[in-house]
Amino acid sequence: MFTIYRHEMREYVKSLFIWALCVGGVGVLCILLFSSMKDSMAGLTESFASMGAFSDAFGMSQLSIATLKGFYATEVGTIHGLGGAMFAAVISANMLSKEEDGHTSEFLFSLPIARAKAVLAKWSAVMSHILLFNLFCVSLYLVGIFVLGEEMDLRGFFLYHGMQLVMQLEIGGICFCLSAFQRKNKLGLALGAVLLFYAYDLMARVIPDLSDYKLFGPFSYANAADLFSTGEIYGEAAALGIAVLAACVGIAHAAYVRKDLAV
Amino acid sequence: MQNVIEIDSLTKNYGKHRGVTDVSFEVGEGDIFGFLGPNGAGKSTTIRSMLGFIRFQAGRIRILGKDICKDKEAILSEIGYMPSESMFYPAMKVKEIIQMAADVRKQDCRREAEKLCERLQVDIDKKISDLSLGNRKKVGIVCAMQHRPKLFVFDEPTSGLDPLMQSEFFKLIQEYVAEGATCMLSTHVLSEIKSYCRNAAIMKEGKLQCVDSVANLTRTNAKRVKLLREGKRESYIYEGDINELLQKLAGYDIEDILIEEPSLDEIFMRFY
Repeated sequence: MFTIYRHEMREYVKSLFIWALCVGGVGVLCILLFSSMKDSMAGLTESFASMGAFSDAFGMSQLSIATLKGFYATEVGTIHGLGGAMFAAVISANMLSKEEDGHTSEFLFSLPIARAKAVLAKWSAVMSHILLFNLFCVSLYLVGIFVLGEEMDLRGFFLYHGMQLVMQLEIGGICFCLSAFQRKNKLGLALGAVLLFYAYDLMARVIPDLSDYKLFGPFSYANAADLFSTGEIYGEAAALGIAVLAACVGIAHAAYVRKDLAV
Repeated sequence: MQNVIEIDSLTKNYGKHRGVTDVSFEVGEGDIFGFLGPNGAGKSTTIRSMLGFIRFQAGRIRILGKDICKDKEAILSEIGYMPSESMFYPAMKVKEIIQMAADVRKQDCRREAEKLCERLQVDIDKKISDLSLGNRKKVGIVCAMQHRPKLFVFDEPTSGLDPLMQSEFFKLIQEYVAEGATCMLSTHVLSEIKSYCRNAAIMKEGKLQCVDSVANLTRTNAKRVKLLREGKRESYIYEGDINELLQKLAGYDIEDILIEEPSLDEIFMRFY
């Protein structure tokens, strides 16, 4: 099982570094730009906060973007949120289907390894990649914040990144589950699902009638503005997210071990 | 002689597509067993069922005395399988693929792998994406043989290999079989069956046509008759009493005649 895990870690190491460098790099660049933008932001804070539903959707009504906390939540929060979710989707969407798509299933599954163990090794690789991605990005953001020398709400920071990790694992789990049923790689489907989840969360924040259903989207409990302003976890949504994650990985496992492999 | 493969009433249905129906045969220890049939006959479905790639609706498959549905991992640890396509991870190097196969088996196969790479002239430092089909096949052969399994299953092993490598491959098979291994060979190349296999099974339209020794399968009274009469060339297979054929021919005004053994293709074609 460890051989499969190590193989998957190596297969995606380039992808990990490219995504972590891009998302983390853009994030840290935003942080470093804050000091030069702070003064101009101060004048815009009020107008940004008074754009009604639009301000609510992007969290600008809850936090002042003239502060590092508010700026981080609205700018870096959006970049990391979308970038991280897309990375999780990219890593997990082909994890199982690539064996049939690349016709390597005959090689891999003619070796003496139970499919259940292979699924477990592959899911462990997905989790490890997501964890490493977050460690790399968070380290970069912390270096940026340290270099900037501004005061930062570190509790909100870690709460946000903790919830982001859970959200990325949930999205990873959903895409991993889709991958178990596919014979071809469906990267577009996975990225489309991420954008759909993001759009669903935005709509649920803008349209009052949808607000009760916000918790069904993975972005609901990992919203930077909510977490930085309240300092509290959206427990129901996070619990639902973890339940969805567990169910998806369980379904992927059950489906893949029973699947007739295409060659 | 103990049976290494025992397939009993195997039935696999794909829904719209035909699978295999009520297939039963056995392969004894130390045999080189040919598995024949036209495309879509059910050879691959049978092999994929044997290796646990697909689940079948009815029947039982026992390999090396174990049930594939219950002891798949244990069975696969004793099998060396080479698929017809031999596809690997394109970004990896040959030596990494060979090592990965050995690592999953938790065996140190370095000496055997080195010997095989030398005999098959495998460049272990090349990337898989740079290899031709023939060279990928050679990597597949190394992966299937390096752990010295008790049973080899090869699906069209020689397609893409040059004649020199084909000969080397069969030499290796014969060496391993001489040491006690068993080999099941699915192929379209009838001369390989005639030259190397002791027994063979022939599949057609998802059903087993016959299982017998290759000697019996290729034994026939049929003759290929080629003649030139009244300026026209005729050629046909004759099955029957040779005296009746001669009597019939005596009545013709024949300019030229040749009566010979039918080709191997013609012999096997009657099963297709």
